Amino acid sequence: MNEILNSVYGAVLPSAPYVIAAYALIWVALFVFVAIVIRGFKKSESDIALLEERVEELRTQKEAAEKER
Amino acid sequence: MTGKVSAFKQFKILLGKDLRHEMRTHEMLTSMGLYAVLVLIIFGVAFAQLGKAVDVAHLSGGLVWVLIVFTSLLGLGRSFSYEKEASCIEGILLVPMDRSVIYLSKLVSNLIFLSAVEVIALPLFYFFFMTSVAPAPSFPYSIASVVLGSIGISAVGTLLSSITVNARSKDVLLAVLFIPVVFPLLYACVAATTAALVGADAWMETFRTGVLLAGAYDIVMTLASWVLYDFVISA
Amino acid sequence: MNKKLLEASKVDRYVPAVLVAGALISALGFVLAFTVAPLVHGAAVTPELIAGQLVANQLLFSQKIFYFHVPVAMSSFIALIFTAFYGVRYLMTRDEGYDVRAKTATEVAVVFMIATMVTGVPWTRFEWGVWWSWEPRLTTYLILILMAIAYFILRTAFSDSEKRCSYASVFGIIMFIDAPICFMITRLIPSSTHPVVFRTDSGLPPDMLVPFLICMLGIVLIAFALYRVRLRQSLLSLRIERLKEELDELE
Repeated sequence: MNEILNSVYGAVLPSAPYVIAAYALIWVALFVFVAIVIRGFKKSESDIALLEERVEELRTQKEAAEKER
Repeated sequence: MTGKVSAFKQFKILLGKDLRHEMRTHEMLTSMGLYAVLVLIIFGVAFAQLGKAVDVAHLSGGLVWVLIVFTSLLGLGRSFSYEKEASCIEGILLVPMDRSVIYLSKLVSNLIFLSAVEVIALPLFYFFFMTSVAPAPSFPYSIASVVLGSIGISAVGTLLSSITVNARSKDVLLAVLFIPVVFPLLYACVAATTAALVGADAWMETFRTGVLLAGAYDIVMTLASWVLYDFVISA
Repeated sequence: MNKKLLEASKVDRYVPAVLVAGALISALGFVLAFTVAPLVHGAAVTPELIAGQLVANQLLFSQKIFYFHVPVAMSSFIALIFTAFYGVRYLMTRDEGYDVRAKTATEVAVVFMIATMVTGVPWTRFEWGVWWSWEPRLTTYLILILMAIAYFILRTAFSDSEKRCSYASVFGIIMFIDAPICFMITRLIPSSTHPVVFRTDSGLPPDMLVPFLICMLGIVLIAFALYRVRLRQSLLSLRIERLKEELDELE
């Protein structure tokens, strides 16, 4: 290739991996954040299930107590 | 006592209380002073292999500030601890006063203790590390940057130590909060101090910029801490 | 205690659309950055006529990173503005809803600060050949990340809710004030080791300005959408915790 063209464009190819890595890593960071949020939602769902169970228990206890009267 | 006590008088009383406590126990000065000397010894070990080849003067600005930061972290951490132990703070809060008076009195007392330790530690630093070369003629200017830096450190440190005194891991938490916040001030002060100590060409440029920026930091952060202190001490 | 602050608001209905729009817009900006925007000039070389134009400099590809680097950096700072704002609102009203918003804003800020560092470091590596230099932007962002981590450590150090929220609000405000100071000071102090060279962000030719603005818009939209999503999840957790406590009391 022409010497001068080489020196002008010579920095393009070697820097490409860094540019691609930079963009890819941004997306990785964003996806990790989304994953954390989803994990939070899952925990909230299991907590709600627990709360529903407890409310059930309390209700059956209350009904049992009223039946005895 | 009849009538309201003026804010300035309240300030003097609180400040006097801290100073008198220190006079009696010498708790802060001895621990901070000893700590400073120990840091200098660590510097000595760190530079033991350097010999005469390296010009310590260029590092000296930075080293001075390492010394000051770690010593002040110790002092700031302790400035509220004895009050917490004796539950003094609740007592002080019962008095109907502007909370910023407490802030100012603590700031000044911290500043006084820090300065007292600096007066001992800095000449010691010079004695240990800088006698191999004659000092640059601009040497005394470094006092200005040390003073400005100490003011900023005390201003921010008083606010942050009031926050951390209630936590479990007080000292670590204080360091974690303090160092990033104070970083810009350190940057400016190290530049100014090094410029003054080395005295190379155009040192006045760097020195003046550093000192102005440190001063700006001091004004902004002291005002911010003053305003925010009420929320911290009342929590 | 304002109940409304704890529930999803009308804004949340639009969040999925905003997220998709943000993603599409940044993708468009990304494509434009690589196709339409010209390469930036680097070091000088002997002039040569290429495609009818006189080219006298080496053409840099790594500068393309800037199309995402600057927007994520600005998004993180915008998020910090909200941290401080909600901190102030909390101190004024003592309503925990504001504190949750401040915390979420800080979380989003951290994510984007990490993105800033992750794009800034390869850029530095390629421009200057070193992986790190104490130049204003990288240094400021390092300090900012440390402060944000300090914010979270501060939150976990206190179990009493009022103390935790008050101290976090105060520290959030301090963080917000310190950030520009840090940037200005590191920029204004002449450093003897590294000449501070900045890409002139002002006066961008329209070729580069348009893709840049498009990327900026896309990334800000994404940041906002992420903030709302995370906020919704945090508020849900908070409400569940409160329900648990109430249930304990009722038993």
